[in-house]
Amino acid sequence: MRTVLRAFGECCVTAGAAVMLFLAYLVWGTALQASQHQHAFATQLQQEWGTGHGARPVTARLHLVTGKPFAFIRIPRFGAKWRFAIVQGTGLPQLALGPGHVPGTALPGRIGNFAVAAHRVTAGNPFYRLSDLRRGDKVMIETAATTYTYQVTTTELVLPDDTAVLDPVPGHPRQHPSTAVITLITCDPPWTGTHRIIVFGSLEAANGALRP
Amino acid sequence: MYPWLWRHLPGGVTSKLACTILLALAAAALLWLVVFPWLTPHLPLDQVMPR
Repeated sequence: MRTVLRAFGECCVTAGAAVMLFLAYLVWGTALQASQHQHAFATQLQQEWGTGHGARPVTARLHLVTGKPFAFIRIPRFGAKWRFAIVQGTGLPQLALGPGHVPGTALPGRIGNFAVAAHRVTAGNPFYRLSDLRRGDKVMIETAATTYTYQVTTTELVLPDDTAVLDPVPGHPRQHPSTAVITLITCDPPWTGTHRIIVFGSLEAANGALRP
Repeated sequence: MYPWLWRHLPGGVTSKLACTILLALAAAALLWLVVFPWLTPHLPLDQVMPR
């Protein structure tokens, strides 16, 4: 009896230690992996864009390859240092690298809906503070040739099956878009899958110049 | 489990202690580098995409 109890106790202690290690992995391990990828992405994009040599290509096309970066996202409310490279795709392998562009949605700056999803926690917690965004906050998307500035319009809490937020005109499945909007998506509450926080914004400026 | 392990580790206390630490580190590395990366996508954690 004593042997059985002891073995059971040892298993519990071992399992407890493994769970604590797993939590450490989720918080620090995934963040470390993501930051290594983000560092490589930043170097790669800056090389491709030739920002190290001054001039940017005037007519740079976006190359969308799943799992590869094509733009930076900056949100001043999250701090001057907050910047992530956006990769193409929103499968778990891509979201582990950083924010992902939802395939099939518009390109940054174009008419339609440019949708970006990112983890709330794990992978460096890119969208941890997404719920802090308020109307008028800026969301900047830097591409090879242009920096697009969106302004937050509304924030919504929706159920996971609400795919209408990804429509070209969010919430209106069959409507034809006439403006460029952005949709940022993450989960709420953190760690879970019960709801989604959606932040909508509309394009205000390109390269600092206000749109007519 | 652990008393059995301790009895079967070689040498004196120092050697046993060193082996224990080594084994613990190896187990942690196996979890961190192999098991956790495999396990994470299978858990319903932090789901961000509409579905």
